[in-house]
Amino acid sequence: MTKLYTFLKYFFISFWTVFVVAPFLWAVSTSFKDFQSVNSKVTYIPWLDFEPTLEGWRVLIKSPAKGGVDIVEPYFNSIFVTCTASLISIVLGTLAAYALSRFTFKAGFVRNNDITFFFISQRIMPPIVLSIPFFIFLSTIGLLDSLLGLVVVYIVLLMPIAVWIMVDFFNRVPKELDETALIDGCNPYQAFYKVVLPNSIPGLIVAGMFCIIFGWIDFFFAFILTFTEVQLLPVKVVALNSSITPWWSLSASALVSVAPLIIVAFVVERYLSKGNLSGALK
Amino acid sequence: MEVRMAKIDLSNISHTYNPLESKPTYALNPFSMTWENGKRYAILGPSGCGKTTMLNIVSGLVRPSKGEILFDETPVTDLKTEDRNIAQVFQFPVIYNTMTVYDNLAFPLRCREFTKEKIEERVKEVSDTLNLSSFLSSPARKLTADQKQLISLGRGLVREDVAAVLMDEPLTVIDPDLKFRLRRNLKEINEQYKTTLVYVTHDQNEAMTFAENIIVMDQGEIVQVGLPKDLFERPKTTFVGYFIGSPAMNIFSSTVSSDHEVKIYDTIFKTNSNLRNLKDKNVKLGIRSEFIELANKEKNNTVKIKLTRVEDFGNFKLLTGKMGDLVIKSKVEREKPIPDGELNLYFPPEKCCVYSDEKLV
Repeated sequence: MTKLYTFLKYFFISFWTVFVVAPFLWAVSTSFKDFQSVNSKVTYIPWLDFEPTLEGWRVLIKSPAKGGVDIVEPYFNSIFVTCTASLISIVLGTLAAYALSRFTFKAGFVRNNDITFFFISQRIMPPIVLSIPFFIFLSTIGLLDSLLGLVVVYIVLLMPIAVWIMVDFFNRVPKELDETALIDGCNPYQAFYKVVLPNSIPGLIVAGMFCIIFGWIDFFFAFILTFTEVQLLPVKVVALNSSITPWWSLSASALVSVAPLIIVAFVVERYLSKGNLSGALK
Repeated sequence: MEVRMAKIDLSNISHTYNPLESKPTYALNPFSMTWENGKRYAILGPSGCGKTTMLNIVSGLVRPSKGEILFDETPVTDLKTEDRNIAQVFQFPVIYNTMTVYDNLAFPLRCREFTKEKIEERVKEVSDTLNLSSFLSSPARKLTADQKQLISLGRGLVREDVAAVLMDEPLTVIDPDLKFRLRRNLKEINEQYKTTLVYVTHDQNEAMTFAENIIVMDQGEIVQVGLPKDLFERPKTTFVGYFIGSPAMNIFSSTVSSDHEVKIYDTIFKTNSNLRNLKDKNVKLGIRSEFIELANKEKNNTVKIKLTRVEDFGNFKLLTGKMGDLVIKSKVEREKPIPDGELNLYFPPEKCCVYSDEKLV
């Protein structure tokens, strides 16, 4: 029985690993192929099945004038939009979450939990619902097809995540911690940034990670709210897919766009496994 | 160094956590009390009786629904916690996880902008008292639970100028040996620096050994304030009688038979209480098991009981006997020979307390 269980366990783990890793390997291998190796026959292994070439990668940094696709600019656009929006969302979201966790709000029938739910509800509706309002909003204030406009929209998308994670986190930080800080002579603001905030770094990291992931992978709003002036990475990658799909550069750009998330995941995993997420008190 | 301690007056304080409801329930019923400068107080009572609320009101974490708090005749009711100069230690250790032990202890002084030398001196002194000197540079989160509680305690004691140090069952997580020593340390600190210490506990032994004055609370009410001796010998209510002492006070239903006497079944007990106004009323007679004596023969104020159990506690024997349906407990010296079966117990009149409506007559 246990043997069967162990067998099944490893079988499914292996199956799942192949399922997850295979597309990456496929993309890595494809990114080094040329037109011939992709289209003439099935090839897998470099040097044996096909002669690897860096052409697929070179195209990515060549300017369009020279026949390249230049994903460098969209790449930095994406980094800028994601990081700015995440940072602002974390700052505002953390403040909102702290207030929601520590103070009691009453407005008619609205209580703290209702306000928290209001934040989260922004993520519940399908993005398509928001697309037209955002479009009109941005065109009214003249921020359509601009980085700033995207930052504004992404803050709306990312802040609920930050609020949600941080409310939960602050609720698990005993209020005695704040009270002790007050007794020790901090005013409420000092208590927040000298005592509560340093204790909440693990929560901030988790929230930050989610914001970065959700900001980085968004295609929908980047697609709808930009045209020619500004392009974000996901849009640019998809745009590679023309009448003759350049599978090699498409694969290379896909790998390049996933890379930052893999780095983020590694760093965060290291940090979290050090045990810093464990409870601050008791 | 300027020593700024204060007499703390609580005047007509009451508190409810749901003031907006039509019939608010009070966590603290109206009371007034004065904590003298430099004394040791213990607030004693079962869980949920309002002890913590009282501390939080003094430290300013809770604003009382009604009433006023004065430090040295100056009203501080509207003063914020950080401006009140109060130290408070909670039941569970609260430490600043990201800081070292030294920084934890120095934090209250840094917030108040003491000089570096002064901070160093105070932290050294407090860490010596609390046996924390060897951990000063380690991260506070790496310490054990009781060491963490020592840090909490240390942060309370590190400021010499506090109006009072409030402690909310601070020694719960600390092992008995260290507990004993710490209690003595706290006493020494109080004697040395004349810091007012207020100590909340539900453990009567802790309260008795620690405090000069004990405040007994029950259901948001202050039932009795007094010296350990008063609480023991003349509990003001049957609650105090039950709550303090081990075993609890013997309390029997009885009727008043004359000006100074009550009757249980057919036995008349003489007391020193004036019962003129309570003639024929139902009252309760209370007597500590420590005060009940063995009697050789039947005389006034004796009762014949059937012995049901004898427990040897080493330093004394606890007799449990029955008089009809009533259970009587008596502590006797260990050496005393205990007759089998039936024996006579003597209730000294001066030790008998009579309770009408659960209150001492």
